[in-house]
Amino acid sequence: MIRLALPKGRNLKVALAAFRAAGVALADPEPDDRRLQMTVPLDGLEVLFLKDWDVPLYVQHGVADCGVVGSDVLDEVDGDLLVPARFRHGTSRLSFIGRGAEMPEAGQQIRLATKYPATARRLVQDRPWGAEILELSGSVELAPLLDLAELALDIVQTGRTLAENRLRELETVCEVAPCLVVNRGAFQLLRREINGLLERFEEARMVV
Amino acid sequence: MKVSASLPTGVAALFFDSARRHRELEGRLVKRLMDHGFDEVILPVVDYLDPYEEMPSGVRRDELYRFVDRDGQVLALRSDFTTMLARLIAPRLATLELPLKLFYRGDVLRYQQDRAGRQREFYQLGGEVLGAVGGEDGGEDGERAVLTEFLDLLAATGRRPLLVVLGFAGALDGLLLGFKGRLAYAAAAVVRRERRAFRDGAEALLQVVESGMPADVAALGEEAGARLGRLTALAGELAERFPRIAVRVDLAEFGDQVVAPELRRRLALRPYYDGLVFRAFAGRAAEPVGGGGRYDRLFQRLGVTATASGFSLSLDRLWEAETREDEA
Repeated sequence: MIRLALPKGRNLKVALAAFRAAGVALADPEPDDRRLQMTVPLDGLEVLFLKDWDVPLYVQHGVADCGVVGSDVLDEVDGDLLVPARFRHGTSRLSFIGRGAEMPEAGQQIRLATKYPATARRLVQDRPWGAEILELSGSVELAPLLDLAELALDIVQTGRTLAENRLRELETVCEVAPCLVVNRGAFQLLRREINGLLERFEEARMVV
Repeated sequence: MKVSASLPTGVAALFFDSARRHRELEGRLVKRLMDHGFDEVILPVVDYLDPYEEMPSGVRRDELYRFVDRDGQVLALRSDFTTMLARLIAPRLATLELPLKLFYRGDVLRYQQDRAGRQREFYQLGGEVLGAVGGEDGGEDGERAVLTEFLDLLAATGRRPLLVVLGFAGALDGLLLGFKGRLAYAAAAVVRRERRAFRDGAEALLQVVESGMPADVAALGEEAGARLGRLTALAGELAERFPRIAVRVDLAEFGDQVVAPELRRRLALRPYYDGLVFRAFAGRAAEPVGGGGRYDRLFQRLGVTATASGFSLSLDRLWEAETREDEA
């Protein structure tokens, strides 16, 4: 049986739709459903519902064999996980956001607010400007709005929130997509089952 | 005075039953190694950084714990037994009776990001066989002997299901050099088993990430193809000899073990393996519990011609796998 970790956040819908399209009968958890585990006996799956940021950790430790997690989280945690597929839907962008019209000038020292401090440090290394990284746990857009930081590094989906708050997407860093991640030991032990699942995703055109 | 019992990220203290079980396992494995003719070496936990700067290594520079001693020397905490032993033994090798069978045990320390679920201090036990007679098969006999020692040791660790994956360094060099696209992307995609990277016109690499080897071994080139054939036969022999251990060949697992100088330069990799490589997994644990391979190149870099193969086991990971199995 494959033990699958699904994120409770914005990627849950994408994951559920992809599994259903691949013929795996996963139901939406009811809003008042407090179950943390669900078994899908016909498809040989046991599903754990976890916070997005916890998915890589559970998979890394082998508590779950595989999971769905955003590439933004994956890049941040630097785990040694296999990433055999990226989902076609649910994509967004990781972008620099600010109130002004331009990115910082060469030599400028700024404050940068983000939920992704490791990614931010890597990005700032290659820039002609410097930044003090401020790690926030949520509502990152508020930081440039309230002058906590000159820039924010955060996920942009439609850009509507930014427009409503007079913020600008100054530079797109990369595309972000939900990914299927698998731990190395589980892949070796469950290779046939995991490859079978991947083929079903591909046939249903759920992954790129 | 109130004293906190907390420890830095990535290190652990073992008490009572945990400590006893850890030492029992260690004792059992050490006895096995000594029964098989391995002599113990005790290596320092601190060494100069300088000698390792230009040596092949499986440890990234940013994983080292470095510091400046009071007399101004730049030092590093031990991050890998194999490189330390090689640099200490290489100048003496000509004066010693070969082959040498040595074993070590102790901690290695590597800085790892705390979110990734990894420890920073690992307790390792391992063995090295240096200067084994190569014979006419380019030293593959010696490699096989070391792998057999490793499986024998692994079989003595307990009752959990075990899987050993085999490959050889440089197996995918030809396929990677022939890839029509960004080389760094292809190399990373093999290791992460990203299928989409190889869907358009890189069928052999796609088969490697899916099932561990190409459907037609000729895709690897004549020499590597023949080597894969011998390795597959060896996996079958070992699976029969060690029925509790599943043995399989998977070249993608070692996709970063490149040999071609062009690949090492373009990918900025400096691994030391240049022959057989292997990793062991216990249950569904994500991190291998051990591994090893052949690394003549490391000695060549130190100016000495000698065959060298070795293996190590992480007692922490073995113990973690055993504990999880007991709880299940």
